[in-house]
Amino acid sequence: MIALGLEGSANKLGIGIISHPSPTAEPHVLANLRHTYNSPPGTGFLPKDTALHHRAYFVRLVKRALYQAHLTPADVDVICYTRGPGMGACLTSVAIAARTLAALWDKPMVGVNHCVGHIEMGRAITGAQNPVVLYVSGGNTQVIAYAKHRYRIFGEALDIAVGNCIDRVARALRIPNDPAPGYNVEMMARKAVKRRGKEGELVELPYAVKGMDCSFSGILSAVEALVGQLATGEDDERKDRLKFSDGVLVTPDDICHSLQETIYAMLVEITERAMAHVGATEVLVVGGVGCNERLQEMMGMMAVDRGGTVFATDERFCIDNGIMIAHAGLVAYETGVQVSIEESDCTQRFRTDEVHIGWRDKDG
Amino acid sequence: MSTIHIPPSPFNPSDLTLITQGAEALVYKTTFLTPSTPTALKIRPPKTYRHASLDARLTRARILAEARVLVRCAREGVRVPAVLGADWEKGWLALEWIAGRTVRHALDGWLKAHGDDVGSSEGLEVKGLMGRMGKAIAQLHGVGVVHGDLTTSNVMVESEEGLEGDVVVIDFGLAVMSVQEEDRAVDLYVLERAFVSTHPQAEGLFGEVLRVYADGYKGAKGVVKKLDEVRQRGRKKSMLG
Amino acid sequence: MTNPGTVLRIPHLQDSLVYVALFQSVKNSSFLRQQLIEGNTTYEYAFLDASTILSTTHVLAACFRAINDATANRLRTRNVHSEIVFALSPNNNIAESFRRFGVADETTSLLAIKVIPTTGTAAGDSSATDAIATHLRGAVEGEPAPFTDEAFAGLSDVTRIRKLYKAPAPGSSRKKTGVNGTSSSLQELKSLESIIIGSMAIKGS
Repeated sequence: MIALGLEGSANKLGIGIISHPSPTAEPHVLANLRHTYNSPPGTGFLPKDTALHHRAYFVRLVKRALYQAHLTPADVDVICYTRGPGMGACLTSVAIAARTLAALWDKPMVGVNHCVGHIEMGRAITGAQNPVVLYVSGGNTQVIAYAKHRYRIFGEALDIAVGNCIDRVARALRIPNDPAPGYNVEMMARKAVKRRGKEGELVELPYAVKGMDCSFSGILSAVEALVGQLATGEDDERKDRLKFSDGVLVTPDDICHSLQETIYAMLVEITERAMAHVGATEVLVVGGVGCNERLQEMMGMMAVDRGGTVFATDERFCIDNGIMIAHAGLVAYETGVQVSIEESDCTQRFRTDEVHIGWRDKDG
Repeated sequence: MSTIHIPPSPFNPSDLTLITQGAEALVYKTTFLTPSTPTALKIRPPKTYRHASLDARLTRARILAEARVLVRCAREGVRVPAVLGADWEKGWLALEWIAGRTVRHALDGWLKAHGDDVGSSEGLEVKGLMGRMGKAIAQLHGVGVVHGDLTTSNVMVESEEGLEGDVVVIDFGLAVMSVQEEDRAVDLYVLERAFVSTHPQAEGLFGEVLRVYADGYKGAKGVVKKLDEVRQRGRKKSMLG
Repeated sequence: MTNPGTVLRIPHLQDSLVYVALFQSVKNSSFLRQQLIEGNTTYEYAFLDASTILSTTHVLAACFRAINDATANRLRTRNVHSEIVFALSPNNNIAESFRRFGVADETTSLLAIKVIPTTGTAAGDSSATDAIATHLRGAVEGEPAPFTDEAFAGLSDVTRIRKLYKAPAPGSSRKKTGVNGTSSSLQELKSLESIIIGSMAIKGS
């Protein structure tokens, strides 16, 4: 069976085509295209402009995807789209486009939960059997474990998602959004490590883990408050600039480093708690923030200390994409899930644990 | 855990017996101050994934937070394990050993033997235990302490058999100082969920915990009301399914 | 040669030999205090006013803290003996700790503590402690008392101790009864001891 997957819940428009030769065989990625809407440095992307972007690029990406996959609309069995969660205007634009295709081509539709898409794609790509999942992106931060046909949320960010925190730090520091603010923050953190060493002094930032949950608005506020005191570079001569205890000037690179060390430690901690609670040894990291190599490294160290393994995907799959929607949609479709055009809705709030995971065994 | 843990000085592995190993800390049984004083030694080992300064800062803060909460309870006359010693630089806390069994263990044993009698006169024993738990939690909340991880494995009953005996809440590693109704209600919610999933036979008796709790301090009734709200919301803070 | 004191076996501190000797009806407190002030090297002891001590556990906790901090190079005072006095205090004021817990001119019951490294053999340890015992017997003008909780119970000024550690008085509104039973004076002392030991443990944070 072949599924077309349509994703646009945030600023990435993803169109993917996947093939399941049989329910038990490995899925084939036939096309995986994406176009990202980036706003200028110092700004964040707004729903209206983002939806406009998705509408502008939709048709050409679908056409290109079909071309790459050497398929015609007739070959597609089901149209899968992101039902939610995400930004209202963006979700609606893609949903309308999905309905249009379904009407034009007379195909069934499946609405997919964005998080479930990330999880199912991660499992398929990495082969992780029954991992604890850390799903981290601009819009979501959840620690998830599967039980009895549900992806249960064990821990989450109580205020803003970790990716949102990183994006807003980037905005405050006027770091470019292209290709992704988080990517640029990661590069700057590496520069700081190069300059001061891995164990170089950190700027002390708030660490907020509460039980199985965490929160990021505190660290965001703390960074925003420091922005005005940062040195532009090592040669900044102003007397009032923030310095480390050894007198060295604190630059935006150093803030990126300290930010990462702190927020990633928080994520690893809540993940470890969930793992200890359910007795898991595998951890799967998905979502845009999951691309970050430092996060993967830290998660790996924690997993090894517990005698376990960390699984992660590369940027093709951890960043929002259409393939994950096609794959998750198709596995659901294969168990009889589908919606008519009239029933196909979308919703900004759509919790991961609301979805019935019928394609997995009750016990894993 | 696959890494062998070496305890910080001044402790030698040969003097310690591992009791539990959580995500955060290891708990050993040993002696402290005299060779005949049994002690629970809680060690927070360094986490290699963290930047060393962050790790030291967190370990220090957590050992201290737990010790301070326990000492505060002691000052307020609330029965909790006594703090015998602490070293927040090295990451350990020595606590009074509470002899007995966890409520989980005690209740499991009792239910196995008397499962069908829960509603009967023999069930009064269970009811009594539930009430004492409610009272103990009310005492904690009443002095501004929220436990953060209430389960039947974190409450001890000081007896080797049966359900009689003082109830002592343990493991304050996630405890915070708070008087917020929300925090207190979530504390109860976590215990309720834990109770229902581990002792489904006694589910109906959990109400006794809340009944006694509600009379435990000024404001307790409001917390029990708030618990309803927390239940409706479902998972935002619970960790059990 | 009767040994007036006791060697404490403190778990996990096997490299240290801790010798304690309790004396009552002490006549020469001023003299002893003077030796400490002058830094007389034959008087390297912790000299405590025993009326500020609740129990043997109270002493043990102070010794543990001081010895552990000495081993970890974290002494806040000059040496392990002064650190024992300082360890008794619930706050960080060193001078105040000496004034409150250390031997004073008016002290009538005295606890002497000496910490030395273990010699490595039982015989060596024995002769070292004998030497300490001999010196103390000569130096302190007072009657030896056994190092027991009963002895301290007879000497401690519980009201003063409660004040020093800011512990609530018994029967005050802050005290609550146990979940199962009621308060008794033994329980009250146990409670007080927990408050004291706990306060000492978190001091300096």
